[in-house]
Order: sequence, then C-alpha cells, then structure tokens
Amino acid sequence: MKSQALQELVKKIFGDEKTRLQFTSNPDSVLAQFALTEQEKKAVLNTHARLGLVTSDSPQLEAALSPTMDWHAPMP
Amino acid sequence: MWQERQAELLRGEIEALLAPLSDVVGLYDLAKEPLTKARRGLATEVACDRPWPLLPLIVCEAISGHYEHALPAAAALQFLMAAGDVFDDTEDADSSESLSARYGSAVATNVATTLLILAERAITRLDRRGVEDYIIVRVMDAVNSSYTTACAGQHLDLSLASEMAVSEDIYLRVTDMKSASQIECACHIGALLANASKELINILATFGHNLGMAAQITNDIQGVSYGSDIVKRKITLPVIYALAQTGGEDYNQLESTFSKQSESVPDPIQIRDLLFRTGAVHYATIKMEFYKQRALDILSKAEGAGISVERLKLFLE
Repeated sequence: MKSQALQELVKKIFGDEKTRLQFTSNPDSVLAQFALTEQEKKAVLNTHARLGLVTSDSPQLEAALSPTMDWHAPMP
Repeated sequence: MWQERQAELLRGEIEALLAPLSDVVGLYDLAKEPLTKARRGLATEVACDRPWPLLPLIVCEAISGHYEHALPAAAALQFLMAAGDVFDDTEDADSSESLSARYGSAVATNVATTLLILAERAITRLDRRGVEDYIIVRVMDAVNSSYTTACAGQHLDLSLASEMAVSEDIYLRVTDMKSASQIECACHIGALLANASKELINILATFGHNLGMAAQITNDIQGVSYGSDIVKRKITLPVIYALAQTGGEDYNQLESTFSKQSESVPDPIQIRDLLFRTGAVHYATIKMEFYKQRALDILSKAEGAGISVERLKLFLE
C-alpha cells in the first residue's frame, strides 16, 4: 500500500527550505511530525545515511541501486 | 568461483533443451538469442554480483546444501523469461532490434511459444535428476500459478497504457503481479526443491517478493537516470509521485510529457532534472530501501531457521 505520510514527508523536505535544513541536521525531529511506520522510518533514515538527499545522479546512487539492478535493465 | 560453476551447469541444461531445435533451419538461433541477453541464462558474462538466473539454485543450496537437481527448474524460468521478453517486444513494438521488428510478429510469436513449451519440458526433466513426481507437480503448479499472475499483471498494465492518472496503489499492484511474482517464484521453487517445510517455503517466497519489488523500483530509478523510460513516456513510480505532488509549471511539463495524447517530443534531461529536483527519485529510493529492508529482515528469520543466507544477501547488499 502507498504511504500518504511518506509522500508528505518527502514533499515537505523538498518543498520547504526550513524543513530540508532541519531534516539534514536532525532527521528524527522531522520524522516525528509524520505518522510513518517503523519500517518506513528505517527506510528514510537508511537512505539519508547512505545518500543524503537524492537530487542528482551520483556514484553513491549507482552503488545503492547496484545490488538490485538488472532484473529487467533499461539500457543507458 | 561458485557462480561460474553454477552458470556453466545452467548453460549446459539450457543447451540440452535447445538441441532438438537445431534440425530446423533458423529456429535454434532465434530461440537462443533472447537467452543470450545480459542476465539471461546463456549470457556469456559471469554474473558474480547479481546472478539472477542462479536464484533458484542459490535458494535450494542455501537450504539443502545441494543445487544440481534444481538445474532444470532454473532453466525453465530462463525459458519463460526469454519468452516474456519476446512477447513484450512484440507488444511494445518499440525496438528495432527485437525479433518481431527484424523477422515479423508471426516468427517472433512462434519463437516465444517454442520457449514456453521448452520451459514445460525443462520442468519434466527434473525426474532425470531424481526429483520425486509429487515435487515436480508442485514445481509445475508454482511456476504456472506465478506466471498466470504475471500475465494478469501484464494485462492490467496494458489496459492502463493509455492512462496517465495511475495511482501508486495500482502501480504497486501491477509491480507485485508482473515483477515480484517472478522473483518470488524463483525463490519458491528453489525452496520446494530443497524439500523445505511449508513455513520455510513461505519465508523464502516472501523474501523473493520483496526482492522483486525492490528490483522493479530500482529499474524505475534507472529508467529516469538513463532517460529511457522518459522517452517511452512510461509511467513509473517516480512519475506517479511527481504527478501527485507537484503543481504549476512542473505539473504541466509532466503532463505534456507523459500524456499519451501528447505530440510533443519528450526532453529526457529536463524531465530527469525535474524528477530529481522535486524529490520524486528520492521518494522512489526510499521505497526501494523499504522493500530491501523487508527482504533483509526476512533473511534474518531464515538465518534463524538455520539457512545459509550469505549468497542471498548478494542481491541486497
């Protein structure tokens, strides 16, 4: 099922500079404002720890995708 | 390395099944072609990091310590996936390299049908490996059930092809049916052939399901990065997020790109930047991580049941 709260969190982080800064410095304080499940919180924090905010292609993003790549790979 | 050995044995199994086609001029080469693509069973590169074709074997070995008797089942899945590739290309008609583009849809359909039948033959070869009949029937049932679900997912996807307003729930359902079901099946039959308990089979199948969801979302993110899905106006998870969460000029650009009625030429760089800038790719990355984490949690459960999960973690870490 989709998570409305997760969509709202990402929208707020990417659409509101103040929230973005707060999330970057203290992600838990922002997460507390949204009704996320524990697994969603973990996914948000893992992604943040590994990649920060995903705003462009990067070797880090490529590395994060790497293990689950190529099941049905689009060609570059 | 162990992957090279397993890949070599799988290639041998596939070649043995293709061999009778060599009497018919052309058919052998055409049937072999989709199996030689990257990450398919006859690919020449050794898939050390993401050995997808070996997944049923890896699951079987993780549980029982043996895998060779599962080779025909792994080959069957490769034939089914190759058939799916050929049918997909025929339906999509968007590649000049496809069999249907080069030889016509009649030839391509016949090749795909041949591959489907070879998949059934592959499963019946399990008896040569000493697999008991009732297990073979269960493998056949699991494969047919999963691929019926995949076909139903494809039908749903095709029926939505002209829609731009696809919800995330529908997207997840189609992904579940089309993609996750196939990886779930690979894990399911690997566990069946290891004579695993019902509970363990369910654990491994659930692992496969979550791995499949993560793999499809990975594919969606790559499709944005490379621009390939943008050019094809494909509605994937990042696009669904962006259509739901943006407004104004961003929404208008997305609408003119992804509307099937649009006559404008998509600008992949501009749309890719938009999808990154608005958090759509970030959102999809979190969803991918969500399913990977679930798969890892399930592997911990399997490890607790005494399963050697190290090689299965290759698909996640």
